[in-house]
Amino acid sequence: MGQLVVNGLALGSIYALVALGLLLIFNTVQIVNFAQGQLLMLGAFIGISGAVTHELPIALAWLATIVAMALIGVVFMLLVYFPLRGRPAFLVILTTIAMGIVLENLALIIWGPLPVSLPSPVRGPPLRFSGVVISMHQLMIFGTLAVILLLQYLLLTKTRFGILMQATAQDLHTARLVGIPINRTIAVAFALGAVLSGIAGLLVAPLFLAEPTMGGSLGLKGFIVSVIGGFGNLPGAVIGGMLLGLIETFGARYISSDFRDAYAFIVMIAFLTAWPRGLFGEKTSEKV
Amino acid sequence: MYRKTFFITGTAIACLFASLIGEAKAEPAACPAEIPFGLTTALTGNLALLGTQARNGAEFAVDEINAAGGISGKKIALKAEDTGASSTDALNAMNRVIESKPLIVFGSMISPHVFAQTESVNKSETPFLVGATNAKVTAQGSKWLFRTHVHDGQLADLIPEYLVKTLAKAKPGIMAVADDYGLGASKGIQVALAKLNVTPVAVTSYAPSDKDMSAQLLEIKDKGADSLILFGRPADVALVMKQMSELGIKLTTIGNSSMVAQTTLNNLSAADADGSIAIGGMIPQTSADPKITDWAKRVQDKYKVPADNFTVSYYDTVYMLKAIIEKVGCDKPAIRDALAATKDWKGLLINYQADAPGDLAHTLGIYRNKGKTPELIGPIKEAGY
Repeated sequence: MGQLVVNGLALGSIYALVALGLLLIFNTVQIVNFAQGQLLMLGAFIGISGAVTHELPIALAWLATIVAMALIGVVFMLLVYFPLRGRPAFLVILTTIAMGIVLENLALIIWGPLPVSLPSPVRGPPLRFSGVVISMHQLMIFGTLAVILLLQYLLLTKTRFGILMQATAQDLHTARLVGIPINRTIAVAFALGAVLSGIAGLLVAPLFLAEPTMGGSLGLKGFIVSVIGGFGNLPGAVIGGMLLGLIETFGARYISSDFRDAYAFIVMIAFLTAWPRGLFGEKTSEKV
Repeated sequence: MYRKTFFITGTAIACLFASLIGEAKAEPAACPAEIPFGLTTALTGNLALLGTQARNGAEFAVDEINAAGGISGKKIALKAEDTGASSTDALNAMNRVIESKPLIVFGSMISPHVFAQTESVNKSETPFLVGATNAKVTAQGSKWLFRTHVHDGQLADLIPEYLVKTLAKAKPGIMAVADDYGLGASKGIQVALAKLNVTPVAVTSYAPSDKDMSAQLLEIKDKGADSLILFGRPADVALVMKQMSELGIKLTTIGNSSMVAQTTLNNLSAADADGSIAIGGMIPQTSADPKITDWAKRVQDKYKVPADNFTVSYYDTVYMLKAIIEKVGCDKPAIRDALAATKDWKGLLINYQADAPGDLAHTLGIYRNKGKTPELIGPIKEAGY
């Protein structure tokens, strides 16, 4: 039982990291980026190229990945968001899905179909408490999630830039009229969203193996987590992630492993039907 | 007198014609300037690794044959189409290949793709060579379809038998990938275990996209299993083995050839891989023959992807077709008949022999990992071969 809780929470933390990346972009441009999972995959492969292929020290490989992901985030915005800005949101969302497919095939061409592993930055024997095993890497995932959650909270609520992001999300045109540099704000949001995905990829690759198709399922789970927690809500993304990880793990153990993915979708449908705003979603109203 | 002369002359002319016709029948059918081969396999999507390994085998053989002068002086033109991971795309890919009027077509090792393609290939009356492992692939009644790789029906019998009779394990847990490949094998294994009066303590599965199999592993452990039968693809088999080790679960593990695939072993530590057993299609890495290991190295160097059992199977198939075409020419029915009559054709690692449904591979390998190095315990033949 204890082991299932630990493994469920570790899996949930990864879902939460994907959801936090989604949240950052959503909170700025009100768009769900369905290529977030593929950005995670890119992060994993860039990390592997640095640490495994070019044998860089792991810290340097992480740093290079974070810088590369920030640039990729900006390029992503220029290719996917900017040409369609002002058009119906569903067009941009469809384009993110298309871009996800492009990224997946690009990775297949660049890195090939072989699954590859990335060494964990933390070594050492796992901790054992009354039969429950917690690996050092799992502890690192929990720690990283806590740090990112705190930083993101501070960014969004305590910095001028966070307020600019929220203003941009609420009304793009008014934000421009009052002198907010919206292009720069949106670019930073996409860069940070991609960086968060990249970090998730770096954390996932030592735990699971990296392969070009790894992002699709994780991206989708990040979306489900956002539905559970409430779109755009920080604590919601984390608690939703943990909840989904636990539901999947316990469902696979005590109901049937055949329907593991189905549990996630059943929970999503239940939330959309009974609590469409999610656990922590704010009530919004629109003037007509 | 005239009648007698007429009779003798007539008989002589008839004999002459008969001998000419006989000679015409023995003459191999002419081949075009380039002999068209078609191939459909997964080169993108989550099955891309398997598809790439098969494509590599066929392409490597074609390149070797062409470099050596082709088939009776004619080069082979291999047209490959990507099926992706979907059966609909597999059918579309096959239809595109058939439009180019190939002499023979290769299907992939993904059984649902082959099921989707078979009718289309039957209509085109083209010999259809596949590596798909679902036992029912050759039970479709197609006279054009031949399989040159071992199938799950053979594994489903041999894995439980080896586990129970040789390894003396009586409480296995089963874990299989939840698709046509894994679930079909899991059912077959359960039937074979029942024949041996053994009931698995737990039967679990995981979706092909799953990354965390700890819940299934803990269930198998909690229910008191003494062994694990694992049926999956190299990437997920590596994950299961890795997670077993992280959870401190130590079970005798036996499974399909993914257990000893280079792709699996590259992602495991020696301790994680050590002792696991595989029964499946023969792999080149364990061969004692330097020609075979050199071949595997050349394939790896060329494609940066290790040669596996499918690479061997598709490579052998191209050479088998070369031998047949040299004998019967570029005539589809004649090629089909020659494939159906295959007997003891020597491939890289095994001999091929056709049975009535169209299966040509009947020899499997039993392997055990010593650290990260697979060792061949021995080949094992299907009963009757």
